[in-house]
Amino acid sequence: MRSVLPGRHLPRAWAVLASGVLVLAMGLYAGGGTLLDQLAIHQLTVAVFVTAITVGELFRLKMPSGREAAPLASASALAFVFLAEIYGQPVLDVDADFVAVAVATGLLLAAGVRAAQGRAVGLDQVAARLVGVATAAWLARAFTLNGQTLWGLEVDPTVSPWLVAIGMVAVAGLGISVELVLSSAVRSERQRSPWLAALRDEFGEVAPLTAAVVVSGPMVALMAPVLGLLSLPAALFPLAITYLAVGRYTQNRVTYRQTIATLSHLTEQGGYTPTGHAERVADLGVRIGRVLGISDRELRELEYAALLHDLGQISLVEPIPGGATVLAAPTDQRDIADEGARIIRHAEGLDTVADYVEAQTTPYRQVRELGEEVPMASRIIKVANAFDDLTGGSDDPDQVRVANERIHLGLGYQYDPEVVEALAVATSDTTVGRVEERLPAPR
Amino acid sequence: MSTEASEPDHPASPRVGRATSVYVGCVAVVGISLTAAAIRVDGLEIDATFWVVLLLAVLAWWFGSVEVDSGRVTLSFTSIVLLAAMALVGPAAAGIVGMLIGPMHEARNPLTVRIFNSGMFATMGVVGGFAYLVAGGDPGNDPVGPWQIVREIGIPVLFADVVQLVVNLVLLAVVVRLAAGMPMRAQVGRLLGTSGPAHLGYGIIAFILVVLWEPAGLGSASVFLILPPLVVAQWAYRQYAEEVKGHERALHVLVAAVEAKAPHLMGHSIRVADLSASMAEQLGLRSQAVADARVAGMLHDLGLTTLPTGLVRSTGVGNSRMRTYPSRGVQLLQGLSFLSGALDAIAHHREAVVPGSRDDLSVAALVVGLADEFDLLTEVGTADGVVLSTQEAVDLLRSTPSGREDLLRALDQALSRRAGVSA
Repeated sequence: MRSVLPGRHLPRAWAVLASGVLVLAMGLYAGGGTLLDQLAIHQLTVAVFVTAITVGELFRLKMPSGREAAPLASASALAFVFLAEIYGQPVLDVDADFVAVAVATGLLLAAGVRAAQGRAVGLDQVAARLVGVATAAWLARAFTLNGQTLWGLEVDPTVSPWLVAIGMVAVAGLGISVELVLSSAVRSERQRSPWLAALRDEFGEVAPLTAAVVVSGPMVALMAPVLGLLSLPAALFPLAITYLAVGRYTQNRVTYRQTIATLSHLTEQGGYTPTGHAERVADLGVRIGRVLGISDRELRELEYAALLHDLGQISLVEPIPGGATVLAAPTDQRDIADEGARIIRHAEGLDTVADYVEAQTTPYRQVRELGEEVPMASRIIKVANAFDDLTGGSDDPDQVRVANERIHLGLGYQYDPEVVEALAVATSDTTVGRVEERLPAPR
Repeated sequence: MSTEASEPDHPASPRVGRATSVYVGCVAVVGISLTAAAIRVDGLEIDATFWVVLLLAVLAWWFGSVEVDSGRVTLSFTSIVLLAAMALVGPAAAGIVGMLIGPMHEARNPLTVRIFNSGMFATMGVVGGFAYLVAGGDPGNDPVGPWQIVREIGIPVLFADVVQLVVNLVLLAVVVRLAAGMPMRAQVGRLLGTSGPAHLGYGIIAFILVVLWEPAGLGSASVFLILPPLVVAQWAYRQYAEEVKGHERALHVLVAAVEAKAPHLMGHSIRVADLSASMAEQLGLRSQAVADARVAGMLHDLGLTTLPTGLVRSTGVGNSRMRTYPSRGVQLLQGLSFLSGALDAIAHHREAVVPGSRDDLSVAALVVGLADEFDLLTEVGTADGVVLSTQEAVDLLRSTPSGREDLLRALDQALSRRAGVSA
């Protein structure tokens, strides 16, 4: 049950979960006996939308960064928020509580199925989604401006559909924003990264997709008076196609990373560097980067640069003993980094990666005293590389402590204190800085 | 989405010949005449709807298009705009919109390509527009109720979409046939595979736009609701296209690693890759096999990077201590699923040029082996600087497993093609 409830040390996750529970409880309490009566009137409509939400939650979309989104579920839930007239069905004249309870039902059904299948559930994320939709429902059906709710404008034939459309898009946007703010709060707490950075990634990586979800709800509500319940699958279809495109994109990203990783194997198989060193430096480097709040794009380039940081050793005539560059003479380190960067620059479009590799040997002193520009990614690789050279990839607590101490000795001179601090956070707990909620398989 | 012609960036693209120019002219004339005929037969009402559709066309242009399939075909949202024009205004308007969108796309394209696109889109618009009417569509009519809407808008939009896709692919396949000499059937198949599903899928977006616009009474505001799904689709395909490009780059880093290890092989990998692909094409292999031969040619020396630097730089690949490099290369690449088709050729390319070795080698291994050895003999040369002429090299290779008549002929054709491109 580990993945259903958040850990004890995650107060934000518990707060979000509690607000989700509160929304559901208030919906049930305020709706009271009328819920069942309303359900009896709108049974087909409710059944269709609850099913869509459940299915959408079950088929989450996995982003290249490893984050998950459920665009079909979010769009269906928002559509339910705005629904008024439906061709062939009674007008969905229900209050916000009813909407919240119906959406919660769909979300919980999906959570139940996921739990039964042994998949991660993440109730705090489910709660974030519910609070977001409930906010939109309240804004659309209870909040009044000049004595009119947005829903009231929808069924008023004298109001321009333009105005209604704009109102719906604004409310849907607010609802989604609430969800993203809450879920990024939880995520940043778990990864130990800054909230703002998590929020930026949450909006940034999928911005066009989020925009498409925001308009899908209003689309359904606007088409329903003439197209009936068929408007839901019609409006979801473009989003469904996006699943395929994003899936291919994610798959491509995976193979691209594999190709880069192959380059790190060249020095390993040639006996220049220890097996798995580059992968470990990349893993640790990315986690440190997340703790420091580096953007997704920069993280990816950091990852590639970390995988390739020893590539320059390939043309050494004599391998360095043990391949540990931290023990090599500074000028040799510099030559290796330059050679690696030179090889990487042969490929168009990897210039940033090459820059990171090149600058990885610059001591922090030069940043502080000479004002030299050294990219944060390079400083991170320098620290992660030193840590792995010193521990030899072992996670034995004594070795980790000794390595941390040794790196601390170079603090301010060799290493950026901010990065070293993030290293201490990242090495204190293996879940820090990971997107996936599950622990990685042991190597 | 629609597929349009675009000029490939690489210099190997064929020049526009006479036949192509004549054909492009014909397509342009057909496009204009059809639009004129449609105005005459069906009439054209230039109202607010017409202007908003035109605005949508400009927006579609503004989003730009995404290149797929190494720049030979680009995807854009033109067909969605055309479908909207057919359903909301009529065939004549669709023809005019098509004529105007054509030249706007990819302004860096040469004039011929833009004229062709203009004629093609106009034809697609008018033919599709009449298909919409034939299938029971009626611009300006507001059906109510799911079945009514599906019958009077859904089915006509779908039918018009299929018809315009067919017009699109046929016109395009002919021009590629004339300009690049690729067989038409293979062309249509390839185009259908890359853009067909997306094309039909996005017909649904046009359907939503029309429903929102007319029966739902939202009018031009529906354009703003439909934009995000359009952008998201475009975004996803753009990311995908970028990623594919990035892939190619990563392979080049592997090549650069080989060259850093063995500076005397500078340029060798890329030449072998091009030669192998060209020979595979001459031998009539399928496109996947051609791509595999190219990658195998590019990475055939990768195993060298795991050998001691001194050894690699001092001796040739024939040295017994170097013999393990093909299998070392395979070992490095084993985990990469997209390279699985190239591994066999990488593993066995050396055997292909050793006289008297096994005779059951795959065509790919023979092709890569021949290209590799030929390039080593005629371009790289031996350690003491001996470089053979083409004829000497071919005579030397005749006694090896890859010295088969058909392979040598393919090599000869590939070489003259290379000479033609660089000339």
